[in-house]
Amino acid sequence: MNTGNNLLYLLLGAMLGAMGVSGWLSERTLRGLRVVRAVPRGVPVDQDFRIRYRVTNRKRWLSSYAVELEEPGLPGVAFLPGLPAGSTLDAHATDRFVRRGVYALECLTLSTEYPFGLFRKERDVVLPGELVVWPRTDRSVPGEILGGGDTPASSLSAGHPASGPRGEFRNLREYRSGDDARDIHWRTSARLREPVVREYERDASEVVWIALHLDHPPGADAEAAVEVAASLCARAAARGRSFALTAGPHQVEPGSGPVHLERALDALARADFGTPGLPTLPVPRDRAVLVTPGPSVPGFAKVIRTGGTASRRDAGEQPSGGSSSGAAA
Amino acid sequence: MRLERLHRRLVIVLSVAALAAFASGAGVEPISAVMTFLVLAVAFFWSPSPSVAEHLTRLWPPLALLLAARVGLGLLGSSPDVVVPVVHLLLLLLVSEALRPEEALNESRLYALTMALLLAATAYRPGALFGLAFTAYVILASVAVPIGLVKRKVRRFGGRAPGPDRQFLVTTVSLSGATLLFAGIVFLTFPRVARGWSGRGDVMATSIAGFSDQVSIGELGARIQANPRVVLRVEFPDGLPGNFLGLHWRGRSYDHFDGVRWTRSDNVRPSRVPDDWYQERWPAALVRQQIYAAPLDVRVLFGLSPMVAVGADSEIYPMFDNVGDWSYWGSATPVYTAVSKASDPAPELLRQADRSYMPDRQRYLQLPRMPDRIAALADSLTRDLENRYDKAAAIERYLRTQFQYTRELPRTAGDATLDHFLFDRRAGHCEYFSTAMAVMLRSVGIHARNVNGFLGGRWNEFGQYLAVTQNEAHSWVEVWFPSYGWITFDPTPGGSGVGAADVAWNWPGRFWFDGLQHRWNKWVLDYSMDSQLDLLGGLTRWLDRPGEPESSREGPSPSWIWIVALLSVTLLALARFRGGGPSPGGVSRSYLSLVRAGRRAGVLDPGPITPFGLARTIRVRRPEAGEPATRAVELYTRARFGGIPLDPGESKALRAAVRQARKRLS
Repeated sequence: MNTGNNLLYLLLGAMLGAMGVSGWLSERTLRGLRVVRAVPRGVPVDQDFRIRYRVTNRKRWLSSYAVELEEPGLPGVAFLPGLPAGSTLDAHATDRFVRRGVYALECLTLSTEYPFGLFRKERDVVLPGELVVWPRTDRSVPGEILGGGDTPASSLSAGHPASGPRGEFRNLREYRSGDDARDIHWRTSARLREPVVREYERDASEVVWIALHLDHPPGADAEAAVEVAASLCARAAARGRSFALTAGPHQVEPGSGPVHLERALDALARADFGTPGLPTLPVPRDRAVLVTPGPSVPGFAKVIRTGGTASRRDAGEQPSGGSSSGAAA
Repeated sequence: MRLERLHRRLVIVLSVAALAAFASGAGVEPISAVMTFLVLAVAFFWSPSPSVAEHLTRLWPPLALLLAARVGLGLLGSSPDVVVPVVHLLLLLLVSEALRPEEALNESRLYALTMALLLAATAYRPGALFGLAFTAYVILASVAVPIGLVKRKVRRFGGRAPGPDRQFLVTTVSLSGATLLFAGIVFLTFPRVARGWSGRGDVMATSIAGFSDQVSIGELGARIQANPRVVLRVEFPDGLPGNFLGLHWRGRSYDHFDGVRWTRSDNVRPSRVPDDWYQERWPAALVRQQIYAAPLDVRVLFGLSPMVAVGADSEIYPMFDNVGDWSYWGSATPVYTAVSKASDPAPELLRQADRSYMPDRQRYLQLPRMPDRIAALADSLTRDLENRYDKAAAIERYLRTQFQYTRELPRTAGDATLDHFLFDRRAGHCEYFSTAMAVMLRSVGIHARNVNGFLGGRWNEFGQYLAVTQNEAHSWVEVWFPSYGWITFDPTPGGSGVGAADVAWNWPGRFWFDGLQHRWNKWVLDYSMDSQLDLLGGLTRWLDRPGEPESSREGPSPSWIWIVALLSVTLLALARFRGGGPSPGGVSRSYLSLVRAGRRAGVLDPGPITPFGLARTIRVRRPEAGEPATRAVELYTRARFGGIPLDPGESKALRAAVRQARKRLS
């Protein structure tokens, strides 16, 4: 007997068909996509940055449409309206981190609602990567600590230091990114088959040694200490001063310039509080600035504390109370 | 063309397809249909600016209220069909949505309204036009919806919208083909179990020209008008019988003639033929006919004579009365399978049939008062013949050879008599011939009755069926032969005079469309569990080795091998479909599953969200799932962003928290 519902079955069939075809096409849309993620070498905390995805559609016939790319846990979404078969296009996601650190990028979620928007098809692809989030560098710090005025630190955009008389030749060392090309000792570089630069007496004597004391529990004071250290580095780089950093196992040898600053910020991004012991320095303590979230440590020429009341204020300013920073030993 | 404009135009055409689908079933009042169509045509070429659209927006609510009130009155009983005002309301909403700016984000409402129209159409019994409109709807939707999706996403995320290039169109049209294919498969295989709410179109037709419940020679006028409407569609499942274009499709018999009109008497004694007569004395084979009949105002089941069995294929209940006619109860369109003897017994057998049961003499030898020369004519034709068969054949031959068929009707009442036909006009339509033969047979003592039905038909190559139209309405004579029963004699020369349908210029197109309509009715509207079983049986027979007896086979049936192979291929395809690249780590996987559960439950918006945002949203919107979700997020962020790997116990705790949160979200 005819059930009388046949046209409803036809509609039902069409709807199920649309669902089935939609699922299949969504799957095909996300297949055959090759994604290369390009992240900045480091990104400042609390500032927008863009992750670029270079997506290649390796399918021979089928274009992909309305593809979204997102990192689990990150708010940014990159979108590709259409990606013809065999083509490569770039998409960008804008994100922002509120804490410094090194973030592992583990996987990437590709998703699409194409073709009908009935369902969202997602596909997680393993795409290991790393994103270094640098600490803030705009904390104000006492100007006299660097031996000069309190120049606002614009850190990463600082220009290269001007060269000048730097005293007696001291030794040779390996070239580091950011070194002045005029300091390259070409004869030795040719012999060793790697670039070597000259170091002068005054380079070493004018180095600002910054030591971050990590033997403290993590927390707001600790993060403030990291930011103060980063701001000191940025200030030194902006003034063309040579500076060095020690933060637990992370050592940054003396140097100057924006690339050197990035190295220092990388080290600070990786700094883990709770590392026991005092900072190890290749120079006497009285030539170094100690930045600590805890009590002062004897022997350092200058100390900046971010704990106690200072932690609730700008850490580098002269405190009004006894738990203040910057006192000489 | 801009993507917005293209999308809007596609949706407008989609709306027209939905309107056509509805109109094919229920029909719409011309005014509302034309107005809707005109507005859609305007919307196709013109999109109002936001300010104009705002003015228009003020117009719709009062109109909608009026129509809603009309629906309400209909529900209270003032209107016999509440669907019509509801559809008017739908059309108004459709029009109002179509007249919005191109930038308006209202495509979901337009899709929903067109879908509602399509759904409303299924409440009726639409013809094949619905199938065409439905196909167009699916194709258009397969193009319009993806374009709308891309448009919406581009608006949200930015970027340059891709143009609908050739590849896009090929993809989307293939998509519609696959959707239709899938729809067909689901339609064919979805199990039919019970009768639903459909069937508003199963009402009986009020009348039909060509066939009526009486045979009369008293009609006056100019000419019988041609009427090519198909009333019977006959399929022969066991193959076409010989001379299938000259078969008599018997309807009703009439025993009483008052000089002008044949009627059926009440309380006729049984005159049906015992079943064993057909088995023992009718040597011809049986022929099966699958008949799709148009509903008539007389509930008659037509078939080749003699019909020995009838089985209903729609919701009708066949009945066999005591004079051998088949009728039925039920309001459904008659679809049935008739089984008949392929031909009459040979003349030699009939010549010898003279002693056995004879039917009601009072009924089948009844004659009205009429001129003596009619009986004299009959006597002169049969005087020298000894048996009933030869006498009947002589009268039949006399009328077929000495008279002419015409569809011209007599002009005056005096001309519309049997006497005038036999002795003056000597031309007439079939009812004159059958009446003349029956009367002359009765006058010489041979039991006879008048029968009406249809003669012949035209073979529809597209639909693979014999189409019998109203033009083929016919009447003839049945003569009783002892030991055999009623035998057909047709004294009308040249058949029933069919061929008028050929005159119509559009007949070939109409005939082809009738084939389409037949297929639509058979495979869509009347598709049933029996059809499914037939289809399965046919498939099984096709898959099995033809011509090989089942007993000689070893091992499983080939159809089972096919089914297993098909299932295996499907499973493999599914496994391949579900496969993919390496999966993300366990921590991220757990977190992602929590995100998806939140989106499925409607707790999370589709946009991106941070882990703590996720936990916060779940806590606010679904407090019962907040605690495990927060716990899961804390563990995830610690492992994912804190760089502190989870130990086995913590991994287990993370999974448990996600599981618990998902359960409470679902």
